[in-house]
Amino acid sequence: MSAKALVIAGYGLNCEEETAHAFEHVGLSAEIRHINDLAENPKELENTQVLCIPGGFSYGDDTGSGNAFAQKMRLTLGDHLKKFVEQDTLTIGICNGCQIVANLGLAPALDHKYGERMVAVTHNLTARYQCRWVDVAVQNTNSPWLQGIQTLHIPVAHGEGRFMMGEDTLKTLQDVKQIALRYVKPDGTSAKGEYPYNPNGSTDDIAGITDPSGRVLTLMPHPERGMFNWQRDDYARLKDKARRAGQALPERADGLALFENAATYFEIAKRKSA
Amino acid sequence: MAQRIEVFTLLEDGRAKTYQSRFEKLGIKASIRVVDVYTIEDDIADPANLNECISSLTNPVSQKSFVLDGSNTTPDGYVDTLGSFDHALEVGFLPGVTDNIGHTASELTALSLNEIRTVYASQMLLINGQLSERNISDLKDDLHNSLIQRADHKDAKAYQNDNGMGITIPKVQLSNSGVAADEVDLDISDDELAEIGKSGIENQDGSLRGPLGMSLLYMKAVQDYFKAEGRKPTDIEIETLAQTWSEHCKHTIFASPIDEIKNGLFKHYIKGATEEIRKAKGKDDICVSVFWDDSGVIAFDDDWLITDKMETHNSPSALDPFGGAITGIVGVNRDCIGTGLGAKPIINRYGFCLADPRSNIEYYRGKGKANPTLSSETVMRGVVAGVESGGNQSGIPSPQGFLYFDDRYIGKPLVFAGTVGLMPREVAGKPSHLKGAEKGDRILMIGGKVGRDGIHGATFSSVALDEGSPATAVQIGDPITQKKFSDAIIKEIRDLGLYKAMTDNGAGGLSSSVGEMAESSGGFHVELEKVPLKYPGMSPWEIWISESQERMTLAVPPENVQTIMDMLAKRGVEAWDIGEFTDTGRAHITWHGDTIMDMDMDFLHDGLPETPLTTTFTRGGEPEPDLKEPDDYRETFLNMLSRLNICSKEFVACQYDHNVQGTAVLGPLQGQGRVYADASVSKPLLDNPRAVVLSQGLFPRYSDIDTHHMGQAALDMAVRSAVAAGGDINHLALMDNICWCSSDEPERLGQLKRAISGIYHLAKTYGTPFISGKDSMFNDFKGYDENDNPVKISVPPTLLISALGVIQNVDQAVSLDPKMPGDKVYLLGTTKDECGASEYYALRGALGNNVPETDNDLNMNLYRVMSEANKKHLITSTLPVSYGGIGIALAKKAIAGQLGLNISYDIGLRMDKTLFSESTGRVVVTIAPQDQMEFEKLFADHALLIGEVTDSDLLKINDIETNISDLEEAYKKPLRGY
Repeated sequence: MSAKALVIAGYGLNCEEETAHAFEHVGLSAEIRHINDLAENPKELENTQVLCIPGGFSYGDDTGSGNAFAQKMRLTLGDHLKKFVEQDTLTIGICNGCQIVANLGLAPALDHKYGERMVAVTHNLTARYQCRWVDVAVQNTNSPWLQGIQTLHIPVAHGEGRFMMGEDTLKTLQDVKQIALRYVKPDGTSAKGEYPYNPNGSTDDIAGITDPSGRVLTLMPHPERGMFNWQRDDYARLKDKARRAGQALPERADGLALFENAATYFEIAKRKSA
Repeated sequence: MAQRIEVFTLLEDGRAKTYQSRFEKLGIKASIRVVDVYTIEDDIADPANLNECISSLTNPVSQKSFVLDGSNTTPDGYVDTLGSFDHALEVGFLPGVTDNIGHTASELTALSLNEIRTVYASQMLLINGQLSERNISDLKDDLHNSLIQRADHKDAKAYQNDNGMGITIPKVQLSNSGVAADEVDLDISDDELAEIGKSGIENQDGSLRGPLGMSLLYMKAVQDYFKAEGRKPTDIEIETLAQTWSEHCKHTIFASPIDEIKNGLFKHYIKGATEEIRKAKGKDDICVSVFWDDSGVIAFDDDWLITDKMETHNSPSALDPFGGAITGIVGVNRDCIGTGLGAKPIINRYGFCLADPRSNIEYYRGKGKANPTLSSETVMRGVVAGVESGGNQSGIPSPQGFLYFDDRYIGKPLVFAGTVGLMPREVAGKPSHLKGAEKGDRILMIGGKVGRDGIHGATFSSVALDEGSPATAVQIGDPITQKKFSDAIIKEIRDLGLYKAMTDNGAGGLSSSVGEMAESSGGFHVELEKVPLKYPGMSPWEIWISESQERMTLAVPPENVQTIMDMLAKRGVEAWDIGEFTDTGRAHITWHGDTIMDMDMDFLHDGLPETPLTTTFTRGGEPEPDLKEPDDYRETFLNMLSRLNICSKEFVACQYDHNVQGTAVLGPLQGQGRVYADASVSKPLLDNPRAVVLSQGLFPRYSDIDTHHMGQAALDMAVRSAVAAGGDINHLALMDNICWCSSDEPERLGQLKRAISGIYHLAKTYGTPFISGKDSMFNDFKGYDENDNPVKISVPPTLLISALGVIQNVDQAVSLDPKMPGDKVYLLGTTKDECGASEYYALRGALGNNVPETDNDLNMNLYRVMSEANKKHLITSTLPVSYGGIGIALAKKAIAGQLGLNISYDIGLRMDKTLFSESTGRVVVTIAPQDQMEFEKLFADHALLIGEVTDSDLLKINDIETNISDLEEAYKKPLRGY
């Protein structure tokens, strides 16, 4: 039996289909579950291995992105969520999901204080929606989601992706190595807050953080939009280069690695090759 | 008693910074803080509940909140957090305007308190800076639209004296008196009839209900009908006829006999072309469902269909650019959802025709500087933000679009919004593209409730904008409410086969959706009091024609009603059973049991009298100008690249999510140099190699010389761009969007006829069928200039052609950036002395006469060959030649590839004309040297070798050398700051 990934949907989340596709592609069994259905049967989390809150625009970002949906999850799922992340499971929040996970306090959850909001993911410094490709570098992290990955070329698409927090929280995050992903320049050097490499002005170039166990990862960029080469902004160049070299361009791209790592974590033998 | 929650952001706020830079543009230096305000209509007394409510609206990491109750006491710590400021400015909605943030806040109270409270959202700016009265008035103008919003100002002293901003509750107050259908006496003179048609039915207090947009001819037909029925009509009957017969709904100008064309322009030319093409293609016909449904439908592959529809939303956007554009995009999304048994929206298109945002021309709708039009910058910012909000929140990628500039769009901007959809060929064992309500089916309205928003939208769009234009025509969309029912229907309910038909509530509201759906059953009966209202006090006619957004109408067999309602309820979507489809031949409505409408269905749909049209045509243009050849071509290049119709629109592309759904292949910005592309490619199914290509073409300025060539150039550009990006001429369909002006003048109708006959011939030659279209015939502004002189500004006759194609394999997609130094550069097609109405002549202040003429057969041969080359992957980059000619095409290629080009091109024509002539049918391509022989053999006379890609940073054309970084700066600078 393969591990089950539950991808949440409803109220304006909108990336559930492509994200579920990513999990299926690497051999997990993925199911899209409307939040109202999960609220009716929260025990489903007991036989779920991966919880994914995908990207979208829940409640239209009204009252702060991810805020209203997080309230809804908190009030309807309550302790079931906390119990889920404390077990040997994986959780990922992508983009709007990242904002929801931060608002739920499932990450960073410093000192295992799950449920406490410690970081804000707020309006881009440009105050404009930013849809563009970025480069992120994996930091020194224990996260199973990021094992063996150095950098990722994947897109962001958000109006509120700027991680902000008190200075103490930032220092602790740095010390305990819960900053998992940072924006970098294409050559791999630090973005140092410079736009557009850091697309939103995020503190310390943070693109993603984890909980203490690393099993909860929350990130603003979209790995599912950069999992196949034909999705990439430089696809035409890659394709042309491969053709001149007489080679076929493989379908697999950077973003798929996160999902493959989830599959590896649950030892799925049946991993498909791209 | 009401409560006001003020949420202060304590950490750096990107929104505040953006306001500051916006204010700087107005010459105001100030520092800003943004305070989010939520006003709760009925106070929450219990402190624990209040705390829960506040915490649900506040992020404790970055924000701090206070509750004010309008009394003299301020909460602890409030004064410290408030800090010092010089001015407070608050913007909130007027009563009845859709308030999405307030709506979400209400839902949060329901979640946290288990009881729903009405909450209104507003935003307060705290300003540190010395402002003059004039500054304050400028800021207010910049921040709010008085049709839908209030802007309140207090200086620090007043704020202190009043103990804050005060509490404003924008609740709709309507009296319940007179809520019934009124009889209207039509036994009156022709003059009086004409007056009702123009200005509307009179209320008892003498005020008018707003324009019906009906001519005397139509009013007399209504008069005759009710004379024969032996009774007076009711207001709702007349309003319904006005909606149903409106230009917007019946496209009367396209349906009417015109000169020798007795079956009208639409049947003869548009539909005619499609019918002839389908017949000629035989078994290779790609059309599945054309013209009658909410979108056109073509084949994708053996299992899937692809749909497309492009709408215009011009008049509402002139009054409220944001609201007009957002309702445009979410409205056309519903057209997609309402196609057949339901298509999933997969790609959005957008297009804006605007005046130069940097110009500050003042116009007024009223005499004596009354009722000023919005500034061109406000319009641009608003329409761009409207599609951003609607498209992004709906989770539909918006990779494809354009911005076109001409100052004649100042009074009436054109806003195009389109949606491509995908649906399986079969749904619940039945063909998905067929639908029809049957006798006995219940009429289900789903989505949002009905308010006064959008009354007279359909009739209003059929007239020129002037002082009397109704503010109620303005609406704001609620994308999340729509997303909820879109997901519920398309992803869950559709495939169960529980409903027989579905359509969007757009123009004309229920009167249109129910009226149209009832054509298949042969009648309907609606119990109008069952339609849910946003607030009490609306008259029956208002309920029936309201264009409140986010609603669909479904035809559901009675046994399935409860199942559908239950499924929708689980997704937070409301639905109401409001009546029944019948076969009585009558359009029948009751209001609390009394019949208020009872008309013959045939009269409703076909009772409008024919209005034969006659036309004249005079070719425009001036003699070809005698211009001095530029001394410095380098400078001319930079000036051309900075023209608004040529420069980069990256600021729009980056704000529009173009890769949600994970399907983007070639996006709006291509190459390392990020050049704004004419075409995009997407792969709608992640595990299916097929792709779709989208493009468009428009050349409104060519209308100043000859609309025949304007129309052909637009169609040619759309087709050429799609083929250039990897498309196949054999699997390509078109949509026509016609935005004309003064369509009651024979000369304008003559221009129309020429344009339409032009695209008829070219579409037939290319074998590319029209599958859907839309027209908007009166894009004129009537008002006064800054000297109080009356003016009429008509948009240039604008024909937009959009193309939708299917590519067999995504690896055939071709981007526009050159890939490798050493690659060969070819020009496909022929350059002629055709600078008439070009960007170059416009730069030089001339119009000219030599408008580009399209060689139909030659181009068709070329596109066939290009389609072949795409399948063989022979071309490594393509860019269709468009505004600015081959010179600009080469410059864009150099910028996109960040590679030099070494070009020699001399056809014996003066160099400025050679470089900037806009002859159609041309494409600049680059080829890998290894493919050169095969390429030349395939393209033969179509291709001319003009140079090579280099690894330098120079664009070199003959002896003209320009640095790529200079070109890039000229190309990217003009609209960068928006």
